Amino acid sequence: MSDSSETPNVAEASGEAQEGIDTGSPLAGFANRLLKPLRDFVKADTPGRIDKAGKAALILPTMASTLIIILILGFLWYEATPIFLDPSGGPGIIVSPTWDPNRNLYGIAIFIVGSFLCTGIAIGIAVPLGVSGAIFLSEFCPMRLRTLIKMIMEMMAAIPSIVYGLWAYVVMVPYIRNVMAPELQSNLLTSWMPWFQGSTNGLSLLAGGLILAIMLLPTVVTITSDALLTVPRTLREASLALGATQSETARKIVLSAALPGVGAAIVLSLGRAVGETMAILMVTGNSLQIPYTLFDTTYVMTSIITNQLGYAFVFPLWRSALFAVALILLIISICFTVVAKLFIRWGMKTRGYI
Amino acid sequence: MVEISHNIEIHNLSTWFGSKKILRDITCYFRDNSVTAIMGPSGCGKSTLLRTLNRLNDLVPSFRREGVVLFRGQDIYKPGSSVYELRKRIGMVFQKPNPFPMSVRDNIMYGPKLHGVKDDNELDKIVEDSLKRAALWDEVKDELDQPAPNLSGGQQQRLCIARALSVDPPVLLMDEPVSSLDPLSAGKIEELIVELKKDYTIILVTHNVQQAFRVSDEAAFLYLGELVEFNSTKKIAVAPQDERTEAFITGRIG
Repeated sequence: MSDSSETPNVAEASGEAQEGIDTGSPLAGFANRLLKPLRDFVKADTPGRIDKAGKAALILPTMASTLIIILILGFLWYEATPIFLDPSGGPGIIVSPTWDPNRNLYGIAIFIVGSFLCTGIAIGIAVPLGVSGAIFLSEFCPMRLRTLIKMIMEMMAAIPSIVYGLWAYVVMVPYIRNVMAPELQSNLLTSWMPWFQGSTNGLSLLAGGLILAIMLLPTVVTITSDALLTVPRTLREASLALGATQSETARKIVLSAALPGVGAAIVLSLGRAVGETMAILMVTGNSLQIPYTLFDTTYVMTSIITNQLGYAFVFPLWRSALFAVALILLIISICFTVVAKLFIRWGMKTRGYI
Repeated sequence: MVEISHNIEIHNLSTWFGSKKILRDITCYFRDNSVTAIMGPSGCGKSTLLRTLNRLNDLVPSFRREGVVLFRGQDIYKPGSSVYELRKRIGMVFQKPNPFPMSVRDNIMYGPKLHGVKDDNELDKIVEDSLKRAALWDEVKDELDQPAPNLSGGQQQRLCIARALSVDPPVLLMDEPVSSLDPLSAGKIEELIVELKKDYTIILVTHNVQQAFRVSDEAAFLYLGELVEFNSTKKIAVAPQDERTEAFITGRIG
């Protein structure tokens, strides 16, 4: 709220400063800072007053959006407290793998592991694929084709997740069951690998990771290629003029220069991956176990909340455990964002952007 | 003129962007170990000429060319001749300083690393040599790991010169290298250009007549894509042969 320095009339403002309470105590200083805009408002002419009122009014929406996040966090915290205080729960639930509300066991490790694995697989597929695609779009693709592909990508990003889920359920899951699993488990090259073992009905960790990856791809591609396109042409020319090929330039100069932007694309997809519910719910099988192979079923944090909230509402502890899952989910995604922001800041510093 | 040794010769060069003819039948040479200034008003094709010499125009799909450009007797546009090898031998400095967004050291090491220099000691030596040649070493030797974009504009441009020198090209193309700099930094770079001509063939594009007179040995005046006059700078300064040249250097056109 320190717009006090932006008084339109300089002479008046300096006069004001001498008038103000100047006892030197911090409290008086604070009161002065609060009152000064008010006094400025009274002294200003009509356009000045409208200006000040307008600026002040803009504080409201800003505060509102910030406040909502804080309130949600507080609300989750409040709702999750019982399970953390109860003797049958406690902070240990985060590492306990047994979720059995009938026996008052609320270990949520399964869901945390499931979410991390799904997100990991999705990011592991979507980021390399998406970044490569973005490099093609920004560096080697003719303008018209690029416009067309980007339009399609943006449309893909707008498809509701239930649609992706339905498609995965009727196409991808049977494909994994009938083609992928038998193939990967029979061929010499991959059949010995531990992560390809186990029988499957198609509903699996792999299905969840794959559908998430498909959903993330458009975001990764569009944001990354936008970031690559903002790299100035003169940087590309400088690299080429040193005898670099176009692919060396794309890799070593353009991608490196746009790394903070690429980081931003990854943050967005991480947040979306961890929070994605519907499609994942439909294809992961949702059984209470920690998956040991890609073909095992799994249960993610968002799914357990969606599936059990209806039953849990009359059992305070059960309900509270679900809120604990939500709280941890929120904390995880905040952590992702903070870490990514730090990475982006570091990237911008080493590149001399800030 | 044939008796003089020169790295680059141009014979009957004409270029087009799409259907627009940019350069018209240009024939000239660039003498070794001297500065040749290409001057002319904006849009006369100076930069196009420069970018034809290291084939940077190849990136523009509508670019078309007729005539021959020889680098050490070899036609650079001959099918099968390596454009990457050529660009390694012909360095370029651009109008605006364009350091890569990485450390000062990495900026210099980029070129040598591309061309296969792996030894750390050798790379360090290249960094030091290039920066010394570009008269930047004393200013940045303690901040080699700072990001290059944090340097001042003039330092950035000298860094770009050092970067171009890092792969040791016999020829250096400069596309209005000081036009975006303050007078003090511009002066430093002009001094540097004169210093560098001992070891390099320098082709300097400029629209600033005074600058061309200050630093160049030979000068070419380009007007509407045509090479109007090409002579030693002294002769052009004192007694231009063509009235368009005279009009340009006295400030009536341009």
